[in-house]
Amino acid sequence: MAQPETKSNLLTATNEDTLGPYYPISLCDNDSMDLTVIRSGIIHKPVGEKITITGCVKDINGQLANGCLLEFWQANANGIYRTPDNETHELLDPWFNGYARHRTKDGNFTLTTIKPGACGERAPNITLTLFSDGIMRVVTQLFFEDEPSNETDALLLSIPEELRERLMIKKTGSGDYNIEIIMAGDNETPFFDDLLS
Amino acid sequence: MSNMGRQIEIGPTDNTSNERTPRSRLHLIPEAARASFAPYAPYNYGIAPSESDMTRIAAGRPRAQGDPIKVTGKLMDQFGRPIRNSLIEMWNANKHGRYTHIEDHSGLPLDPNFLGIGRTLSDDEGNYEFWTIRPGEYLARPDIGRYRPKHIHMSIRGGSSRMITQMYFAGDPHNDTDPMRILMGDNFDKNIGQEFATPDEGFDCGYKFDIVIGGKNPTFFETT
Repeated sequence: MAQPETKSNLLTATNEDTLGPYYPISLCDNDSMDLTVIRSGIIHKPVGEKITITGCVKDINGQLANGCLLEFWQANANGIYRTPDNETHELLDPWFNGYARHRTKDGNFTLTTIKPGACGERAPNITLTLFSDGIMRVVTQLFFEDEPSNETDALLLSIPEELRERLMIKKTGSGDYNIEIIMAGDNETPFFDDLLS
Repeated sequence: MSNMGRQIEIGPTDNTSNERTPRSRLHLIPEAARASFAPYAPYNYGIAPSESDMTRIAAGRPRAQGDPIKVTGKLMDQFGRPIRNSLIEMWNANKHGRYTHIEDHSGLPLDPNFLGIGRTLSDDEGNYEFWTIRPGEYLARPDIGRYRPKHIHMSIRGGSSRMITQMYFAGDPHNDTDPMRILMGDNFDKNIGQEFATPDEGFDCGYKFDIVIGGKNPTFFETT
């Protein structure tokens, strides 16, 4: 992507490029889509409500987008992100990292996690980064429907009202949620620009 | 449109790009939400040193077919600050243009001594290096005769640094028709490895490939 001309002396970023269809599946071996388990065989569990989010990624034709690499990032049940700045935060949960990565073979995914808490003024949300063949990286944030704080969330308020619904994770049962990501076309998921913002 | 970000373009002759590229402009992120978009990946990689030598499947095994090359560079943010201890994942086709990936159905020759997958970490100055086989180009669109030029895929992940990119080779005749290269325009130079001689190292040559991660949150500031 061509960058706007600028007088800044910042280095020009390397171009991001497509993931391609052949991202090595084995490179995800040590990644987990169960954020409720930091280490296997340990009795401690993270604080909060355990939830399961099933979902899928679809292309412009409504077909499942196979081979995507998905990354999820969220705060813990107390709304605290595990960043270096928060390493000594009293509400940091030692049993929760908040980062998951997964290569979806067929376009479907299942994320087991803790329902994130509200971080400051923000409504509870999960950041999704999507790498795929054919595109550079795109990012968005997913919210939980029926959360009162959605009404005042800075990111939701920054996009047109009719688009907000597309970022809502729907509740389908006790602890069960679902979301459909539409990469292009009708009902396209709103994506955000984290390079220019 | 004052509060809109980039319009992602569709790579010409790239079917998947047409199917998967968002048609709406990207939305800008309000300041209150910006930091929350930068994931912080815990590092528990456990990398074996031999994973950075892709010219062999494992130490002591025969070298793969083709020209062994060295790739080295520095990971930086846009201020030139090094990005340390970041995971770099590499993958590339063998000298014939074939991936070992289960979904590569091209039928091009496999090399029993080439896996094409490696990992390494950047050091305290942000430097990294690895060794691989110079990949072959391959016919990506047989229906229109369009090739993918020689390229090495790289994913960078560590702390909050995020990037997936590809290193290309100067002078590859297929560079000019590559859909993503076309979208990069003049900035394509940033994605070409700069060749240098590696006398007495047992490699064909080296390529210098510095990687600058863009955006305002590529790294977290150390608090101590």
